[in-house]
Amino acid sequence: MPPERAQPWGNSSHEAVLALIVLGEVVVFSLLGTNFLSLGNAAEVLRAATPVGLLALALTPVIVSGGIDLSVGSLLGFSAVVLGELWRDGGVPLGTAVPLTLALGAAAGALNALLVARLRMPALIVTLGTFSLFRGLAEGLTAGVENYTGFPAGFLRLGQGYLLGAIPTQALVLVAAAALYGVLLHASVAGRALYAIGFSPEGARHAGLPVGRRLALVYVLSGVMAALAGLVYVAYLGQAKADAGTGYELTAITAVVLGGTSIFGGRGTIHGTLLGVAALAVLHNGLRLADLPTEMAGVLTGLLLVAAILARRWLAGERTTT
Amino acid sequence: MKRPLALVPLAALLALPACRKDEAGSALTLAMMPKNKGNPYFVSCRKGAEEAARELGVRLLWDGPTETDPAKQNEVVEAWITRGVDVLAVSVENKEAISTALRRARQKGIKVLTFDADAEPDARDFFVNQATPQGIAHTLMDRAAGLMGGEGQFAIVTASLTAANQNEWIAHIKARLGEKYPRIELVDVRPSDDDRQRAFSETQTLLKVHPKVKLVMAVASPAVPGAAEAVKQSGRTDVRVIGLGLPNACKPYIHDGVVESIVLWNTMDLGYLTVRAGHALATGALAAGADGLDAGRLGRVEVRGDNVLLGTPFTFTRENVDQFDF
Repeated sequence: MPPERAQPWGNSSHEAVLALIVLGEVVVFSLLGTNFLSLGNAAEVLRAATPVGLLALALTPVIVSGGIDLSVGSLLGFSAVVLGELWRDGGVPLGTAVPLTLALGAAAGALNALLVARLRMPALIVTLGTFSLFRGLAEGLTAGVENYTGFPAGFLRLGQGYLLGAIPTQALVLVAAAALYGVLLHASVAGRALYAIGFSPEGARHAGLPVGRRLALVYVLSGVMAALAGLVYVAYLGQAKADAGTGYELTAITAVVLGGTSIFGGRGTIHGTLLGVAALAVLHNGLRLADLPTEMAGVLTGLLLVAAILARRWLAGERTTT
Repeated sequence: MKRPLALVPLAALLALPACRKDEAGSALTLAMMPKNKGNPYFVSCRKGAEEAARELGVRLLWDGPTETDPAKQNEVVEAWITRGVDVLAVSVENKEAISTALRRARQKGIKVLTFDADAEPDARDFFVNQATPQGIAHTLMDRAAGLMGGEGQFAIVTASLTAANQNEWIAHIKARLGEKYPRIELVDVRPSDDDRQRAFSETQTLLKVHPKVKLVMAVASPAVPGAAEAVKQSGRTDVRVIGLGLPNACKPYIHDGVVESIVLWNTMDLGYLTVRAGHALATGALAAGADGLDAGRLGRVEVRGDNVLLGTPFTFTRENVDQFDF
């Protein structure tokens, strides 16, 4: 999907290694697992991967720009309960509640953007704060116990339905979001600016780039994506509770870093992130189908991450010597 | 050329086959999911489940969340549906969320049980019910009457005055009292709001207001150690505590003699019965309309409607409480 000219910003050999890893997982679990290699299971992997996948897409440009957004998992939960509250207790029809929830995501993202881009506070500290803030609001709104359920079938189709009998509905959301982020990061002026900002924010400023505006854009978008992930999550489970999406931000960051994005900014690609998400999703799914304890997923994720980073170093070293 | 280094993660994955257990091709596969894998309550359920699986030659899969993410139970069920198991048995954490996945499992021809905590009735075939309100109430009241020698005053410490479960138990306790123990009087029902500290202070008050009370019955699990501490500190050796509680929290008081006994269900038996019921369901020995089930060492257990009943609650006393760790 991303054109060849995106390559100077990424590292195609790293992605090739990652693609091999995903392929290796598929081969291993086809041998080990029961019914692993089937279209139905591919659909389930996609379904389970979508919420974290959306967050990982949103985090890619944020991390490329040298920032971080730890608040996305909490915002997912906050959006979920706000949707439930609006629809069930506020009597707002879902046709209105859904855009309102996305607007809430944008507003929450704008808060991060204001603090990071305008006031130039460190993104780690800002979003660590909003990480607690959004989860706290979700818990406060529901007293921690309220569980919104009974959503209409039309809405649940977003998370439980299939198109053409085989493609999970939310997979389309993921594909659309990936395409949008692919264009943003790899085929737009704003995307190029993000890489420059990631390499050197001061340099970018001196070069006349609108650093504040570009950063604000990715944080606001990140908020919208977290709210979107919240909608998909609610439709998938059929319930909205304050603990929705707990810990998802770390899984998403793991996928992004696994995908070759430098945590220090300046490097990373959307297709790398998608491969990172796939590597984690296939691993979790495969372990279950192979009747292996899911705790192994933690260990193997750690190994994969370290191996991927070693591979990147080695490839980078090789490139400079040849 | 150092390129083969990239194959390290692949090699790690390829080493996985070594971890796989041998499986008998035709054995019945029963997948069982606790609410939380680390909770000692479910660890002891698993012991019983494995015992039944060994007896029946059932291949038992045991997996569940290790964290509080409500999406995890669904993911595990979806994976088991794809994997293809014969029976699913779930202790439900989020009723509405899991029911969707369980209904899909039933559509695919998988037999579905719930145990410990139920899903929506149309999402499973049977619920393995660990205790009926009547069973709990009768066991508690009979135990109390025995300790009191059939006469005198007692009081109840409940969760909150509006708690639905507790009020149902108390109604059954009162019914049993009226029916069998005319010389015993229930003098007070005090709330504890499911808080050990509150149970402690309410019991202190209780002992002052009703000095003739011979027994305190605590019907919420945090209330048992709270009430026991109050009785212990009052120095009243003539007052005993019984209740519905968890063994670990009550162990010291049971060994002290302040708490004579606590009533709950035997968690190992719950796991055992669930696997037995799952096997019976898959082989056709248990079907809608059944009124009983042969459950191995538990004998014949009652099936009431779509509930498989574990039977009379289990009484933990000084003699047996140390065998349990939850």
